[in-house]
Amino acid sequence: MRSRIRGLSLIFVGLAAVSSFFLWPTSSANSVKRRGIDSQDVFTPAHPTILDSLREFIGWRETPVQPLAFTHRKHIENQIACTACHKGVNQGPSAGIPDINVCMRCHTFFAKDRPEIKKLAGIFDSGQDITWQRVYGFSPSAHVKFNHAPHIHASVDCSVCHGDVKSMTVAVRAVNLNMGFCLSCHRAKQVSTDCVTCHF
Amino acid sequence: MAHRWGMAVDLDRCTGCEACVVACRAENNIPSVGEDQAQKGRAIHWIRVERYYEGEFPDVRVKFQPVLCQQCNNAPCEPVCPTYASYHTDEGLNGQVYNRCIGTRYCANACSYTVRFFNFFNPAWDKPLHLQLNPDVSLRQVGIMEKCTFCVQRIKSAEIRAKEEKRELRDGEPAPACVQSCPPRALVFGDLNDPESEVSRLARSRRGVKLLGELGTQPNVTYLQRNEWNDNNT
Amino acid sequence: MERRDFLKVSVLTGATAALSGCEKPAHTLVRFIPEEDLIPSVATWKPSVCTLCPAGCGLMVRVLPGEAEVVRNGKLGTIQMGLAKKLEGNPNHPVNWGKLCARGQAGLQITYHPDRVRSPLKRSGPRGSGSFQPVTWEESIREVVSKLQELQSQNQSESLRFVSACLRGQRHELVRKFLSAFGAPAAMVFDPLDEPVLRQANLLSFGQADMPSFDLAHTGYVISFGADFLGTWNSPVAQSIAYGEMRQGRPGNRAKFVQVEQRMSQTGANADEWIAPRAGTEGAMALGLAHVILKEKLRPAADNKATRLIAGWSQGLAEYSPEQVERKTGVPAQRIQRLAHEMAAHLPAVAIIGGLPLAHTNGLFNALAVNALNTLLGSVGMPGGLFFTPQPPSENAGSWSSESDFASVLLAGKLDGTKVLLLHNANPVFATPAVWKVRETLDRIPFIVSFGSFVDETSQLADLILPDHSPLESWLHDVPKSGTNQAVVSLAAPAMLPLHDTRAMPDTLLEIAHQIGGEAAKALPWENFQEMLQASMAPLRTADGINPPPDPEKFWSKVQEQGGWWSDKVRQAARSAIPQKQLVTEFAPPQFDGEESSFPFHFQPYVSQAFLDGSLAHLPWMQEMPDALSTVMWGTWVEINPKTAQKLAIEQDDLVEVRSQHGKLLAPLLVSPGIAFDVVAMPMGQGHESFGRYASGRGANPMTILAPMQVAETGSLAWASTRVQVSKVGKAKLALFSGGLFERPSELQQR
Repeated sequence: MRSRIRGLSLIFVGLAAVSSFFLWPTSSANSVKRRGIDSQDVFTPAHPTILDSLREFIGWRETPVQPLAFTHRKHIENQIACTACHKGVNQGPSAGIPDINVCMRCHTFFAKDRPEIKKLAGIFDSGQDITWQRVYGFSPSAHVKFNHAPHIHASVDCSVCHGDVKSMTVAVRAVNLNMGFCLSCHRAKQVSTDCVTCHF
Repeated sequence: MAHRWGMAVDLDRCTGCEACVVACRAENNIPSVGEDQAQKGRAIHWIRVERYYEGEFPDVRVKFQPVLCQQCNNAPCEPVCPTYASYHTDEGLNGQVYNRCIGTRYCANACSYTVRFFNFFNPAWDKPLHLQLNPDVSLRQVGIMEKCTFCVQRIKSAEIRAKEEKRELRDGEPAPACVQSCPPRALVFGDLNDPESEVSRLARSRRGVKLLGELGTQPNVTYLQRNEWNDNNT
Repeated sequence: MERRDFLKVSVLTGATAALSGCEKPAHTLVRFIPEEDLIPSVATWKPSVCTLCPAGCGLMVRVLPGEAEVVRNGKLGTIQMGLAKKLEGNPNHPVNWGKLCARGQAGLQITYHPDRVRSPLKRSGPRGSGSFQPVTWEESIREVVSKLQELQSQNQSESLRFVSACLRGQRHELVRKFLSAFGAPAAMVFDPLDEPVLRQANLLSFGQADMPSFDLAHTGYVISFGADFLGTWNSPVAQSIAYGEMRQGRPGNRAKFVQVEQRMSQTGANADEWIAPRAGTEGAMALGLAHVILKEKLRPAADNKATRLIAGWSQGLAEYSPEQVERKTGVPAQRIQRLAHEMAAHLPAVAIIGGLPLAHTNGLFNALAVNALNTLLGSVGMPGGLFFTPQPPSENAGSWSSESDFASVLLAGKLDGTKVLLLHNANPVFATPAVWKVRETLDRIPFIVSFGSFVDETSQLADLILPDHSPLESWLHDVPKSGTNQAVVSLAAPAMLPLHDTRAMPDTLLEIAHQIGGEAAKALPWENFQEMLQASMAPLRTADGINPPPDPEKFWSKVQEQGGWWSDKVRQAARSAIPQKQLVTEFAPPQFDGEESSFPFHFQPYVSQAFLDGSLAHLPWMQEMPDALSTVMWGTWVEINPKTAQKLAIEQDDLVEVRSQHGKLLAPLLVSPGIAFDVVAMPMGQGHESFGRYASGRGANPMTILAPMQVAETGSLAWASTRVQVSKVGKAKLALFSGGLFERPSELQQR
């Protein structure tokens, strides 16, 4: 058993090495002229390191560590709708992750004495925004263009894809959003399963 | 009824101004490859303006012809793909699924119109030029084949909008970037399944021809040939 | 990929993987609080104005929130902000009706260019070395103010000079007010795209010193003398929209289009008939057509200002019989006869002149002749003809007449006493003949301030660079002078927040005026440019605009929302002639620099489809856009007829030397059928020494080898009157889009 795992991981490493060879941002090969500028100044869809490509290949994601112990439960208990903070979800592709201005609209007045809110106010006073870490989302090389709005309009509940958020403090990735998950629902509801519905 | 997207290209209106070329570049995140790669023929242009000289000085004439993926109904690129990355969509487009593409380049070989482009390298944008990139369109890495999609992202968002507003798509509503920008209105886009649409009307024109139509590829793009001027002014 | 590359890459991959591990650099950056309300991934469309050429098209900017790296209070971090993603035409703007040319769309890259000047810069090395160091705005403005106050205290206000590309609207008004209040001479215009010769001719012929507009959508016959009106000339988008209508918008009535030029332009490529007369004889050809029409009474004889300027008009242009014109132009007499008949039979007919025919020493004559032909055809101010764009009631400003031409000031030696030079949007060091010695002249000016966004050849000489916002980050105001039959004032608020530590030039100038105090501060009472614009727009509320809201505040938000104000009245009459001093012109053969025996070719630089005069060469989209006729990307070339090439024993992709009496340049050869045997043509725009990473050191600049020939009446550069010789010096390689795919170096070498 142990040797099989080792064999498998060797294959993975090998594959990752090969793929990273192809995915390496070859600034020398890309001949747009650059004089004395290192690759930090270049944007490319390539994976930054071998490790990143390996991670994506095996579908492993880091558990995000949020800068604040935000509690979804408390907000939902206070009858705050998801869309109050996650703006744009019924208008366009992505559900917005709120910036600190959204938080401060209420927390200038409410719950000012709580330690996490004090931390929040401290960040705000230093002129900074909260560095929320992404919980969901697809990697660029998945070439998926998911659009929230039509799902909201089709009355798909948030919890279908995001789990039982009202029982969560910081959001965790409760549902594995792979293609099988999407397709099973699309098939059940008899909506398009054409590739270009999502991949373009 | 399902849509069948098509385009009409009026060569009598086309002036070779290249507005479509840059519009496409801006909309679809097409990378600039630089001079060395361009010299090797690796520049990527989903739409190009072909130029044909006729005659010798002083009796020279030129014909311009914008060429993009013809979105064939009988596409040579589709059956050759071993991974089904090139496939026919429900709405009559020649789809290209980047996830499936393993870069055999068989499709580019099979294509009669040289409108498929291979990413020989990872694209790169000198920061902050990347801030322009359109989030509605995927970035294609090295090893992937790409081509004109008829701006499927615009078609999709127009369809979603129409559905939200509980109505049918209007003629000319989804417009690919090239069509939107074209100053002399040489490019017209629409639904060929709607006999009343402008593109259907133009596709039936006496001037209409298919590019390399004799190959039997059955393109969804119709070219309207340039008229000649004659003295009785028709 | 080569073996070496492979090795290099594998070493690099391994090393970086070991070093960087899982660290993502974005996480370590500070994130600043957003400065605007944003809804993620929902696009908003904001009106703006294109400033890249004099056409002044209306824009719609697609703005989407995104994360940008910015500097705030000296700290690098990221911020969520609205970012411009795409430029399209404003569908309601009366110039471009939702359409936009290739260059206008690429204007987006100016904002995001990696080589933009990101903060005020002060020269830190010798002049022209290109070494600058960042300084603060307060410091740099204080320095300018102290220099200017020094001038005032020494009674030398007139030694402040301002040079700029053509300015219009309130930006122009601001500069004018500033200079006159300070006591400095009016601004000097340096703009290679300007047509001073044609504007002068229009003043003489029609009493209006403006660029003409053409009602191509309703015309029956178009003859264009050298004007690249579908590509780069005048208002190309407006003209292209109308061209589409003229071709296929009127079933059964497809107009004929004749182009007259020596080198086939993109516009000429679309003509039904293409004619190449001898260089500089276009005016004679126009009068040949007029002669036939007059003699055979195809049209009633016209007698007005435009025709009285032409010697011998009232005698039926006896010296311009088709036979005589054939001798002058090389165009067969029969053909002239036929064209005149066609034209008169397919009214309304219109004649256009622009570009090279105006760049000969007899340019003014050529323009006056074409104006007279238009008068004879009855096309002036008529449907299907030539007209002038009506101007809005409140705008008496914006005329160029108050300005002096940079070239004439320079050549008269009047630039020498200049103590302080302000430089805005003009690059005279690049786009002038080397023999004019602009660089040397500017070098003698003690203090130069540039408002440039890029360190181009001229800004490189600056002591201080006070970078302007990009157009998309600015308040914009423009009054189009052609391309529409409605009076238009374009106005736009910034489409996005500034990306770098830059300031809008008008705001900088206001700040300088306020700090100087006195007259300058009194003449410019506005807090900022936005306030000045709001004041200037107010009178338009009561004008005949489309549904003017009754309330001033509502009017102000309405014009911002719509992208400006335009009249609902359509007018295309030419203004009635103002009495002018009589001037009668006769055909004068064009003068050329260089003997035909040793310099056998006419050298014709032309405005590039991608780069115009070179001001857009820094944009990678423009560099990689294949030129429509040559399909060249990322390069420059010298165009020559295949027969001529054969005679000289040179071929495509040879590196040739083009030599005039005043200089030489090297460029690859492109063989093209659409060019006269005695002409060598070359696009402008490449050959920058300093203009960002994409343009610098690329190609050659045709302007450098031009002879200092001038159009006598206007003093402007006659850039088509240089003769050259051509010889092979080696091999080169053009990147042609039509060239095919090459995967191995060996294949490339075989090519």
